[in-house]
Amino acid sequence: MADFFRFENIHYQLGSPGRHINVSASLAEGGVLLIKGPSGAGKTTLLRILARLQECDSGQVYFEGRNWFSMPAQLWRSRINYNSQKPAIFSGSVLDNLRKPFGLKIKKEEFNLTEAEKGLQALLLSQDILGQEARTLSGGEAARIALLRSILSNPDILLLDEPTASLDEKSGNAASDYLINWVRQKPGRGIVMVSHKQDLKELIGTKVLDIGFHPEEVN
Amino acid sequence: MDSGVIPISNFQLGLSVVLVLIAGLISAALKLELLKSLVWGTIRTFVQLTLIGYALTFIFTVNNLAFIIMIVTVMCLVASGTASKRTPNAGRYPLLLGFVSLWVSTFLVGTIVVVLIISPQPWYSARIVIPIFGMILGNSMNGIALSLDRLFSEVKSTILEIEALLSFGATPWEAVRDCVKEALRAGMTPTINSLMVVGLVSLPGMMTGQILGGADPQQAVRYQIVVMLMIAAAVAIGCLLLILISYKKLFTREDAISPNIFTVTNSKR
Repeated sequence: MADFFRFENIHYQLGSPGRHINVSASLAEGGVLLIKGPSGAGKTTLLRILARLQECDSGQVYFEGRNWFSMPAQLWRSRINYNSQKPAIFSGSVLDNLRKPFGLKIKKEEFNLTEAEKGLQALLLSQDILGQEARTLSGGEAARIALLRSILSNPDILLLDEPTASLDEKSGNAASDYLINWVRQKPGRGIVMVSHKQDLKELIGTKVLDIGFHPEEVN
Repeated sequence: MDSGVIPISNFQLGLSVVLVLIAGLISAALKLELLKSLVWGTIRTFVQLTLIGYALTFIFTVNNLAFIIMIVTVMCLVASGTASKRTPNAGRYPLLLGFVSLWVSTFLVGTIVVVLIISPQPWYSARIVIPIFGMILGNSMNGIALSLDRLFSEVKSTILEIEALLSFGATPWEAVRDCVKEALRAGMTPTINSLMVVGLVSLPGMMTGQILGGADPQQAVRYQIVVMLMIAAAVAIGCLLLILISYKKLFTREDAISPNIFTVTNSKR
């Protein structure tokens, strides 16, 4: 039975402690997989491996039944989008930043301004922010713009690294609602997320993967 | 009107040592501890230039095409060696790529200048080829060193943006395009600046040399214009070539940013 998104025995090592990680999990359509674990447990590394930004020692990932290596890296990443914890902001206006993915060869769709404006509203940002120089955004604003940019780029799966870490409670909740809304709005979507917060945990369909420190895995 | 070179006799050449003595006295008086390197530098200048004088005389007499190509190739090799040493950010960068881009740009531009513009008889006249190719090399060497260094430092400092672009499905070229622009700009800026100020701030060495050698200033100026433009072209081509053949080294076979770009520099220095 082919899962929507599944990774099997992803094996990798973490820098200096020489810690070995070996994880497997799967994600159903419309589902959220929450990755938990203490700082330095390798949560970010796992997301980067899933985005093929980093290589693991061994393991397989399947997306809609297809092995990850059967797809070119560019196509894989455009469908399974990784959003880093520290938001990547380009020089130019906020609008330029939101348009950025649509300037790439791989993107066939056009940028949709109406969608962008709806997203800003849902994330409690004013429409005026579009004209602002993006490098002058606050940390919380930049994080939400980066999140919105990822969603507008229309991936199938979002890999999110602490998307609400730099947000206050109110905008953090708005972001969570927006994400849940997004994942359920259409079939063929899913979220893999690293978060210390518990906010999404209670939601139906949220699975938790704990990659905390396991003594038996230390060499 | 005077024309032709006024010869410098051995005695007159010896007099120029007086100039070093002045520098040496200043150094000794102020305890700059430069005396040793000053003396050593003076000896090397005498020896190296005397030898190259004989070598050039020999090369000009032989004037064999294969021999000239070989000499220019060796010059390219030395220049790429120097360029790769000057790029701390580029890390363990293979000499080969620098050599290939210098060689191609130098031969392309140099041949156009010698064959089409100056057209001596025979077209590969060493008296023309060696100085022209030497000037191109000296300048493109600095250009490619600057641009390669800038490419790597830009990629390191904008890694977050590059990885974000990759995450949206960008190709490696799309992801580093802004860095490439900056790198080319860095490599070409000194050349473009020199095009702006030439004749206003300084008289170029080649032109001055020709004038001292008794050439008509009008002709010297024409040569200088050709030289400036050929240097600009060679630097542009050299930088672009080098970046085109080396940016892929920043990426893994999975088209992700290679983790090596962060470790190489530290392990080398």
